[in-house]
Amino acid sequence: MSDEKKLNRRDFLRKAGITGVGLYMAGCAKKTEGVLPTPFSSVSSPTAQPTNLPEAETPAYGDVYLAVARGEDIEEMVRRTLVAIGGIERFVPIGADVIIKPNICTDYYTYEYGATTNPIVVGTLVNLALGAGASRVRVMDNPFGGTGVSAYRRSGIEEAVNAAGGEMEVMNKNKFRSAEIPDGLDIKEWVFYQDILNADVVIDVPIAKHHGTTGLTLGCKNLMGTILNRGQIHANIHQRIADLVSRVKPALTVVDAMRTLMRGGPTGGNLNDVRLANTVISSADIVAADAYAATLFGLQGSDIGFIQAAADMGLGTLDLASFKVEEIPV
Amino acid sequence: MKAKTILHFRQLSHIAFFALFMILFVQAVYLGESPLPSDFFYRFDPLIAATAMLAGRTLIAGLLYSLVTIALSILFGRVWCGWICPFGSVLEWFSPKISRGNVPNKLRTVKFLAFFTLIFAALLGNQSAAFLDPISILTRSMTTAIWPGLRLLVIGLEGFLYRFDALWPVLDLINQDVLLPIFQGIESVFIAALPIFLFFIIVLGLNHLAERFWCRYLCPLGGFLGLTSRLAVFRREVNADCIACGKCVTACPTGTVNADKNFESDPAECTMCFDCADICTVNAIHFPAHLPKWEPAEGQAYDPLRRQVLLTAVGALGGVALAGIEPIQRRQPDRLIRPPGATLTDFTTMCMRCGECVRVCPTQGLQPSLLEGGWQNIFTPRLVPRLGYCSYNCDACIRTCPTGAIPSISREEKQITPIGLASINTDRCLPWAYDTLCSVCEEMCPLPDKAITLEEVDVPTNDGGMMTIFRPKVNRELCIGCGLCEYHCPVGGEAAIQVQSLPDATGFIPGI
Repeated sequence: MSDEKKLNRRDFLRKAGITGVGLYMAGCAKKTEGVLPTPFSSVSSPTAQPTNLPEAETPAYGDVYLAVARGEDIEEMVRRTLVAIGGIERFVPIGADVIIKPNICTDYYTYEYGATTNPIVVGTLVNLALGAGASRVRVMDNPFGGTGVSAYRRSGIEEAVNAAGGEMEVMNKNKFRSAEIPDGLDIKEWVFYQDILNADVVIDVPIAKHHGTTGLTLGCKNLMGTILNRGQIHANIHQRIADLVSRVKPALTVVDAMRTLMRGGPTGGNLNDVRLANTVISSADIVAADAYAATLFGLQGSDIGFIQAAADMGLGTLDLASFKVEEIPV
Repeated sequence: MKAKTILHFRQLSHIAFFALFMILFVQAVYLGESPLPSDFFYRFDPLIAATAMLAGRTLIAGLLYSLVTIALSILFGRVWCGWICPFGSVLEWFSPKISRGNVPNKLRTVKFLAFFTLIFAALLGNQSAAFLDPISILTRSMTTAIWPGLRLLVIGLEGFLYRFDALWPVLDLINQDVLLPIFQGIESVFIAALPIFLFFIIVLGLNHLAERFWCRYLCPLGGFLGLTSRLAVFRREVNADCIACGKCVTACPTGTVNADKNFESDPAECTMCFDCADICTVNAIHFPAHLPKWEPAEGQAYDPLRRQVLLTAVGALGGVALAGIEPIQRRQPDRLIRPPGATLTDFTTMCMRCGECVRVCPTQGLQPSLLEGGWQNIFTPRLVPRLGYCSYNCDACIRTCPTGAIPSISREEKQITPIGLASINTDRCLPWAYDTLCSVCEEMCPLPDKAITLEEVDVPTNDGGMMTIFRPKVNRELCIGCGLCEYHCPVGGEAAIQVQSLPDATGFIPGI
């Protein structure tokens, strides 16, 4: 090849620059459907200091503290429970950056096996949040079996979320940061997914299922998916989960108890272990939601270590008699 | 067509086939959901086809595409080497302008002898040296060293940029839409990365002695195609217009143009690259069809002698004998866990060390082994559960294996096929050794009926009370040895639960 065809350093740098800018622009070009900000507009957040704090006061919304729907029309059940506790607008302000955290623990089984959150529950929440004016709704989890890509697909959640106009985000290791847990009793610092701490609203959407170590996994335990170094949580799992709750503080917890895995959890795999509980539970109080969900397994909130620990820290109440529950047959 | 045009087509062909190689390579880890076969190049590789079928004593239909390559060589000579082979393209792109070495022509014999050695070894049921196949070298080097290294650099840069909060929205877009599809969020580590990369670099470095050193002197596939190319219908010819300027001699990337013999060349060496035709000022070089008066090209001084070929047979025999006295013949290696469904004995004869299974493994727990299975098993795949587990719902390696060394079983069958057995080291396990709460292994176990059960035990605490802990136990009947437990075991360093390899079917060593 002749000399003039050879790339010299200057040419190379120029071309590399052009390529880089091209890639960058290509990255910006995607996604024009209004809900998303451009890369340059700051993600609009109405409050100066975005926190995931639920309303401090016990709500006056017809005094319903926790709503339970039973039936088969999952979408309607999710909607009705939310209406009962004050409507989605109570939790999702206009322009909010919302993150929904379902349980997508592995890519081993489809949702029918009761190991991952029901896709319709997640899809409905995406719909509702966007309807309430959320600027962006992302759905994510950090599976321990299979990859994010494969587990999102397998669970059916990816399809439901895309159909509803939300985004699935595969968690990026580079976005985990160490953060303080000021109220933590056992752990004072842990590595969290930064976006979840920064989001305006976090909606915790666990599936209620059996768990070998903790008895059950519910809303509090589902927050294990927001951190790294999960193995080390196990050393004092109940208190440490409660400590995580004190930091993440989801604004809303919606427990999917449509198909509850009664044994062989958290991974499942046997349809005989799945019970059709046909229930959806919503509350701003993660502890109350978990305590109520425990009753579906013939247990009480106080039977599950992390529910008790979270209640002891004042993160919510597990005394089901102390608040108003609305039962909604659908 | 003008020589220049053909030359440009060849350069395009290089780029296109290398791009195809990379596309297949990148999409291979999409858990096999892509319509394209990731082993495309292997299917057209006659060397792999010959050794796999000879050693495995079986007809592998998927490898019969390689007949196309042989037919091509009988028509046009070594076009595979000059136009298609992605490793050849890499070697050409990384050729220095001036080669300093003065390599004796006699060295060209080596590639023929390498080919014969592989064939003789395959006849004896051994494929230990099949890793010398050029596609295999490129796949392995890309899989275990170049691509993961590149990813590390890119992700490292991304990590640095993520420190600047203002960049997050842009970085998020790039990550989800560009980096994630390319790298699949897979964090690879490879035990054999360095030796494999060194091998690659040495082959590249040999280019400094002579252009395309590997292709000229060493490549066993080149040797194979060289032999069939002697029959080529279309061959290079120099006509009477030649002014003996000698330009073609220096232009030839394989150095086969013989200035002492009327600037003729050997079809076994010529890659039909058209560099000579392009540089020829008097248009004296053509590639006509030698029909109807067709006869094989004449032999060369560097052709292997009968004595040498016999010697390779003896050498192959010796090599196989050495393989037979390695310890693996007496004792199952403790940590040589094969891909699902593969048996210890059949596997080593069928496996051609192509590295495709290693590439497609989404956890990158499959690693090219070094000496865990003896020298004879170098670069065969083994699962290293501490680095990556066998994902319950994945059968990518089964679907990609071109030779059937990993038998083609269904996903459901794979999910109940044991590849090893987990055992707990009670001296390290937190609940067993230290009365500490932990049951990660039980949680992780993906089986419908968990192969790890928890035993409730009450133990005294420091403050005089009692507490309940759970001690894990492995159910031997249920465990399939996927290694998810070992991978996630939170004990630092060596896991407190480890998967050991399974003995072949009976569990007993024959003859003892």
